[in-house]
Amino acid sequence: MATRESDRNASAQQTLDILYEMSQLLNTQLTKETLATCIGMIENGVNPDALAAAIQELRRENAAATLSTAQHRDPSVLPR
Amino acid sequence: MTTSLSSLICSLVPAARVNAVLRQDLTAQCQDILSSHIGQSHEVDFNQVVDAIKRKLLRNAPGGTDVLKFTNLLARLLKQHILSRKPEVLSFLTSVAFQEDPSLNPSSLFTRPPSPRRALKSKPATQVKQEPTSRQDTSTGRSKAQILREHRQSKSLHYAPEELLLRDSIYILQGITGKYIQFSSSDEDDDRIVFLEDQVTRYTVSPSTKALVHRLAELGYLYRRVDNFIRERETASGIGMIEQSLCHHLQSQLKEYYRLIAVLETQALSSIPQTGLERSNDNLASETGVSLKRLDVWLNDWRLRMRMMSVCVEGAREAQGGALVNLIHSYTDNGDPFVRNFTHQLLEEVSCPFFATLHKWLFSGDLYDPYGEFFVAVDTTLGPTQVAHPSSLSGGINEISADGGFGAQGGDPDDFAGPPQQGGKLWENKYQLREAMLPNFVGKSSGTKARILSTGKSLNFIRYSCHDSEWVVTREKMSSFRGTLKYSDVNGLEKSIDSAYRLASHRLFEVFIEKFKLLDHLSALKHYLFLGHGDFADQLMDALGPSLAKPANALYRHNLTATLETAIRSSNAQHDTPDVLRRLDARMLEYSHGEIGWDVFTLEYKVDAPIDTVLDALAMEGYLKLFRHLWQMKRVEKTLDRSWSRVISGARTFIRVPELEHEWHKIRISISEMIHFIRQVEAYCRLEVIECSWKVLIDFLNKKEGDLDSIIGAHRTYLDRVVKKIFLWNMKLGKEEVVHNMMKDAFAIVLMYREAMENFYNHCLSEAARRDQAADEQRGVFTGKYEPSASEDVAQTLTTRLHQYGQNFSDKVQSIVQHLQVHPDLDCRFLAIRLSFSDYYKSRKEARS
Repeated sequence: MATRESDRNASAQQTLDILYEMSQLLNTQLTKETLATCIGMIENGVNPDALAAAIQELRRENAAATLSTAQHRDPSVLPR
Repeated sequence: MTTSLSSLICSLVPAARVNAVLRQDLTAQCQDILSSHIGQSHEVDFNQVVDAIKRKLLRNAPGGTDVLKFTNLLARLLKQHILSRKPEVLSFLTSVAFQEDPSLNPSSLFTRPPSPRRALKSKPATQVKQEPTSRQDTSTGRSKAQILREHRQSKSLHYAPEELLLRDSIYILQGITGKYIQFSSSDEDDDRIVFLEDQVTRYTVSPSTKALVHRLAELGYLYRRVDNFIRERETASGIGMIEQSLCHHLQSQLKEYYRLIAVLETQALSSIPQTGLERSNDNLASETGVSLKRLDVWLNDWRLRMRMMSVCVEGAREAQGGALVNLIHSYTDNGDPFVRNFTHQLLEEVSCPFFATLHKWLFSGDLYDPYGEFFVAVDTTLGPTQVAHPSSLSGGINEISADGGFGAQGGDPDDFAGPPQQGGKLWENKYQLREAMLPNFVGKSSGTKARILSTGKSLNFIRYSCHDSEWVVTREKMSSFRGTLKYSDVNGLEKSIDSAYRLASHRLFEVFIEKFKLLDHLSALKHYLFLGHGDFADQLMDALGPSLAKPANALYRHNLTATLETAIRSSNAQHDTPDVLRRLDARMLEYSHGEIGWDVFTLEYKVDAPIDTVLDALAMEGYLKLFRHLWQMKRVEKTLDRSWSRVISGARTFIRVPELEHEWHKIRISISEMIHFIRQVEAYCRLEVIECSWKVLIDFLNKKEGDLDSIIGAHRTYLDRVVKKIFLWNMKLGKEEVVHNMMKDAFAIVLMYREAMENFYNHCLSEAARRDQAADEQRGVFTGKYEPSASEDVAQTLTTRLHQYGQNFSDKVQSIVQHLQVHPDLDCRFLAIRLSFSDYYKSRKEARS
């Protein structure tokens, strides 16, 4: 049982590696951890397009947040 | 779900790690996005995604190394089994990547409608595709298809995956029952298939797929029929050669079919490495491998072919031999070039045994037809049995001469073996045409089949009935003409038939005329039975006359034959060939009480095989009848001759009874009338009937055209003509023999008249003697006891009778003339004119009336 579990882990790792390579090839700029999370979500049935949209949204949010921290006093940029 | 979402947010937005409000905010926002309609407008297609990625990579790095790398990765990914939603993952990656690249609008790639070709191909895939995910479909605007799908899901009914159906379909094509698709029963006639879609398999099949499978299953059904047929024939015995070759052709066709199925099966298997295990491969398979629809398209050609084969099989159940060829041939007149070609091919093969038989029949006269398929049927009860083996077809001359065609029973001249009519029956009845078995392409012209039959018959006859050793020469001649007979060369076939026919019939003609001296026999018949040799007839009459007057039961055949021998010796007939004279025989017919020799005597001419083909029993009967009539005529003529000599010399010299001179004069007139009658009738028979007909016959024989049938026909016409004219047959129904009977009556009257005259002569003679005696007594010379004169009424009775007979005769001849004047036959009408040349009977009639 343990070997099967380890096999499973290894293969999961392998899959993740492959997908990460792909993701790099495609220049998605996702980290390995993020990718793993996303794959997990998709495996759980989340719509991939929707997830992509969410990630894009989060990235934009992040950019806004970093911008706001950079211009901390600027009141025009507020977190939504 | 929420935890992974929050971890995602944390990793992407580091600010949210510390800011709980922001995190909650973002989580809610992401939830919103995820449950929205984004990305639900289309199904994810693996190939589409892969294609899009490759395109993008190619654009970014035109060298193609990235694409190669990606393909490599993809292959590795496909080997991993841990992911269940590979297309989705890939799609996700693409979406993210495309978002990074603002120049490309991702929606334009994913939302565009699939191209029609792709739609067509992928349709069954989408139909049977399972949706194992419980989609988070909370929207209210669901399509009907979705509702249906959900309903099915709730009942745990799934569309059967296509590759399973495909596998089963390929089984069905081979007539094997599959797991999900089965023939309803093993009964061949039941052509339904059933889909197993029960709770056990948990699969259902959509109606469109069912229709598709039904189309495919037709092939399987037809295949089963054809295959069963072939198996059946293989094991059964007594299957005709044509059917065997049909089976062979079908078998080779089926071999092609097996090959196709094998190819299909490998294709189907290779495109689905792990059948049914990996869902994500379905779409790939449908793109490059075999699908039900493709199967249908690829097998379309075969469907038609199978149908044709099945039709042939059906036909073969009812018909056989030539009829089967005929049946197949009827499909060659099809407008569809495919059907036409197929049938041509089939016919080429199937007609092979037929043509082999035909070839043998045409060029060797052998009928090798063990299964009764040829259109010539043999009656084995007749004639010499021959063992025709196939090797004699290709065999050399030596072999032919060794197979006992002749030499086995050499022409022993005294051998009248077998029943005498054998030859005629042999020719006419041994081989018969079987119309049903005649292939259309051979018997196009009506003459061809008759020619084929006649050619074979002639050759057969030459070989086995005539024992003609020189037929080998004919065979050699023929072999220069023959090519191989084939279905595709029908014109050549006709030509070969024509030349074979010409040669064979010519040879048969020669055999009959030169070897068997048909002409000699015919003229012998004319000379002896038609009394053409006058001296012989006279001699025979003289020699036989006295004994024929005796009662029939006092006659003995050996006496008759001895007399015949004498007649032959003493006449010119002795110079005739011994073969002819040997056949001549005197015979008595069946006699009843009270008949005398004249009634039963007949001359006979014996014929044996193969001449009796022409001179058959019927013809000989005709000859005998004619002989008896002519013989009777001859007898009357002879009688009249003798009477005349008596009337002219005897009566004038010895009888001195002046008061009876007048009676004698009357008798002379009557007798000369009779003589005139009989001479005219005889001349008519001899010159206008026999000789004229004979000339027609001889002209025909000298032309040497036509076959044995035409010889028989010509001879029959000859004989018919002679019989009809000599017997003065009227064609009117019920009056055929009126004139003939009157003629016979007239003959009888002549004979009675002659008897009466004889009596009268004797009376006159005794009267004259009595008067001489009286005169002697008066002179004083005693020459015997004087007898008182016979009473006057004796002479009176005799003269009355004579007068009566004479009158009867005149009346008879008059009515004969009357009948003949309106006779439909022109020659008979001329006879009437000759009989009453100076309108003698007409004026008599007028004088009497």
